Amino acid sequence: MNRLLALVLVAGRRLAGGLLLLVGATFLIYFTIRSAPGDAIDAITPMGTPPEVKEKLAADFGLDQEPLAGYVTWLGRSAHGDFGESLVTVTGEEVMTAALPAFRNTLLLSFAALLVCQVLATLLALVLGEPSSRQQVLTGALYFFTAAPSFVAAIFFSQALNAGIRHFVDTNGYEPPDWYPIPIDAKSIMQYVFAGLMLIAGDGLFMDMFNTVRAEISAVRNAQFIAAIRAKGASTAPHTLRNLVVPFISAFAARLPLVLGSVVIVEYFFTLDGAGYLLLEASKQRDFPIVVGLSVLFTLSIIVMNLVADVVRAAIDPREVARNG
Amino acid sequence: MSHRSLRRLALALCLLFGAGTAQAQQTFHYPEDTRPTSLLPFFAEDMSAVRMVELIFDSLVFVNKRGDIDKGLATSWKLDDDQGGIKFVLREGVKWHDGEPFTAEDVVFTIQAAQDSKTIFNAKSKFEFIREVTAEGQYGVHIAFGRPIPDAEKRFLFKIIPKHAFTGTAISRKDKFAREPVGTGPFRLKKGGFSLRSIALEQNPDYWNASKVGEVQMQHTPDKSAQINLLQYSGVKAGVQAVIFLPPKNIPLFENSDSVVLEPYHTVSWWYMAFSHDNKSLAETPVRQAMALAIDREELLEAHLGKGDILTGPFTESSPFYNFQVEKPAVDIERAKQILEDAGWKAKGDVRMKGKSKLDFEFVMDKELASNQALFLGIQAQLKKIGVTVRPTYVDHARYRDQVFTRRKFDLTLNIWSFEEVEDVYPLFHSKGVMNFIGYNNADVDTLLDTARATKDYKKYKEMMKQLHALLAKELPYFFLWSLDIYSGVSKKVKNVYIQPFYYFTSFAEWELAP
Repeated sequence: MNRLLALVLVAGRRLAGGLLLLVGATFLIYFTIRSAPGDAIDAITPMGTPPEVKEKLAADFGLDQEPLAGYVTWLGRSAHGDFGESLVTVTGEEVMTAALPAFRNTLLLSFAALLVCQVLATLLALVLGEPSSRQQVLTGALYFFTAAPSFVAAIFFSQALNAGIRHFVDTNGYEPPDWYPIPIDAKSIMQYVFAGLMLIAGDGLFMDMFNTVRAEISAVRNAQFIAAIRAKGASTAPHTLRNLVVPFISAFAARLPLVLGSVVIVEYFFTLDGAGYLLLEASKQRDFPIVVGLSVLFTLSIIVMNLVADVVRAAIDPREVARNG
Repeated sequence: MSHRSLRRLALALCLLFGAGTAQAQQTFHYPEDTRPTSLLPFFAEDMSAVRMVELIFDSLVFVNKRGDIDKGLATSWKLDDDQGGIKFVLREGVKWHDGEPFTAEDVVFTIQAAQDSKTIFNAKSKFEFIREVTAEGQYGVHIAFGRPIPDAEKRFLFKIIPKHAFTGTAISRKDKFAREPVGTGPFRLKKGGFSLRSIALEQNPDYWNASKVGEVQMQHTPDKSAQINLLQYSGVKAGVQAVIFLPPKNIPLFENSDSVVLEPYHTVSWWYMAFSHDNKSLAETPVRQAMALAIDREELLEAHLGKGDILTGPFTESSPFYNFQVEKPAVDIERAKQILEDAGWKAKGDVRMKGKSKLDFEFVMDKELASNQALFLGIQAQLKKIGVTVRPTYVDHARYRDQVFTRRKFDLTLNIWSFEEVEDVYPLFHSKGVMNFIGYNNADVDTLLDTARATKDYKKYKEMMKQLHALLAKELPYFFLWSLDIYSGVSKKVKNVYIQPFYYFTSFAEWELAP
């Protein structure tokens, strides 16, 4: 019972912190966008529009309040689930109607990419075992090829693949696949597969994950209790696995913000219907309801991910509970 | 891995990811740099929206390939005897995409909606000449002008919207119609065709001049290199069939291509360098003249933008108003220096001064303008030779509009004006013009523009525009730069291509897609 109570406490504390973070983040974003020179009204009215007409439009778009008062109003409304309407990007559409499907795509892509990245990194760590000088050629090469920013990787990758397929088709007379040339169609699943690959292969994500995972595996393998279990002749696997769950989830949660950052540009390149694309378009046009609405979703996803990581950690590792309880 | 196994792998990949399903209908794909923000014609303000609206909606008349006014939703028209109005006879049997019949009421509604003070859009001034619009039966419309209009038919290129789709004439930008347009044009929105990144249209089966292409798909592909990639590798089924605008540096790639044709087309648009007349030094005509003499437009154009025409006034060379008698002065640094000397601007070190004033200016640049940094550096180096310093401020597009057009906080800037059929420069240079963001005020120019506006005679109007051209070439409220030769890249599979200036897709019904 005590342990459950401690778990609830951990979750509650995290949630409260998360809510504060959410309010702080949305305030910052709302304020920055509203204070940036050039607003949505300027973007859509002709030069020389009489001020009274602009005022009318501003009122229509909820831009007639000062940023601070405007934020308070926004906060009140959004607490009831009303995030306003898009001003320019998808003019007149409710923010969440536009943002949620896009965000779902982005989140799925990011989670899938991160998961695949972690699995691959783990496999590589298991195959390679402890670091040795012989491995340096391989790891060096991997560092080299995964260091480029993901959008640069995307450009090179698509060029090479397009040219390769073209050459193959020309010399053999086969029909090219539906998803060729890249990037073609937002509805093709291959665009998401390629985008995911670029997320893994870019920004140094893979090698960063690999190093963390290998260090964790090595730490558990060399731990005294494993030596003790081995000395007793029992199987070490269940204990190794159990002790790896926490660091693995932490590694995953810690990299989610990075991936959510990279995905913005990668989506733009692969013409995916995602939140990153929507966010860039909306910021360019000062469509603040969309930008703030999306920020809520991005922040929420990170808060939830951390919450899940904490609860799992607390559930598995009694020391966590002791620390927090 | 051997060559053979590579081949097998590629073949397997092709099979795995669905090669082989033949397309039932021919689809024309094209990428756009920007997303159309609204498909409601009044608010279709970016060029990507203009192009899309051209496929979905019709106007009463349109400009055909030969540059003549042709029948659209109107099958005939006649000016009143006193030229104070025009009567259109409308095409019968036309249906909106939702099946409702098209009538004169829709034309009346469109004009009344455009003139409603609560409908706020950029091109509102295009409707300002209309005093009254009345339906005459189901298929007749009479439009009375508020002032004389030379070449009146050309004013009716605006798109007609359906009365039954709106609750009143006050139309909000937020109206759902912007995402679910209903037109009478050759293409209609496909079910679920409007998404964040792409818009899919299908043929309108009721259209009187049915298109030969089954479907059209626009994809927002902001990355130019991705667009070029798509065109270059366009496959049998996928890829794109046209790239609207090819940057000059990519043109050589397609010059001898066996799959892509370079299609030149006109955009009625020209580049200019604007002088803020709120700056006292720039309000002096000799300063502007000297700066104009120091800038080598040909060099800038060739080095950074490709081919085009150097201009001397506010019209493109293909315009009926362009005055070819105005000379293009050659670059002359010595004369420029002399002009400044004579006007009292003496060289002190690197910069010229008169009393406490310095020829030192803030140059505001829109980051979205093509080659903006290179152009600025070129201009900066050239102006330095005559002792004029310019300091750059690069801003994003939204901020640019705010800083330059709304708050007018700039000394110099570079930009482009684009026109539809009617090249009306009144708003730019009249002291009361709504787009006169440079604070220009010249009594002669005002008089000329006012007289031109009051004339009914197109010939006289043309003459006055030529005079205006000559006057502005001397006065230099802007330094007129160039109009570019624009190229589209179009796949050789597309036949009968004709690209309409500005609207692009006007004659799309005749385009064919070879299987």
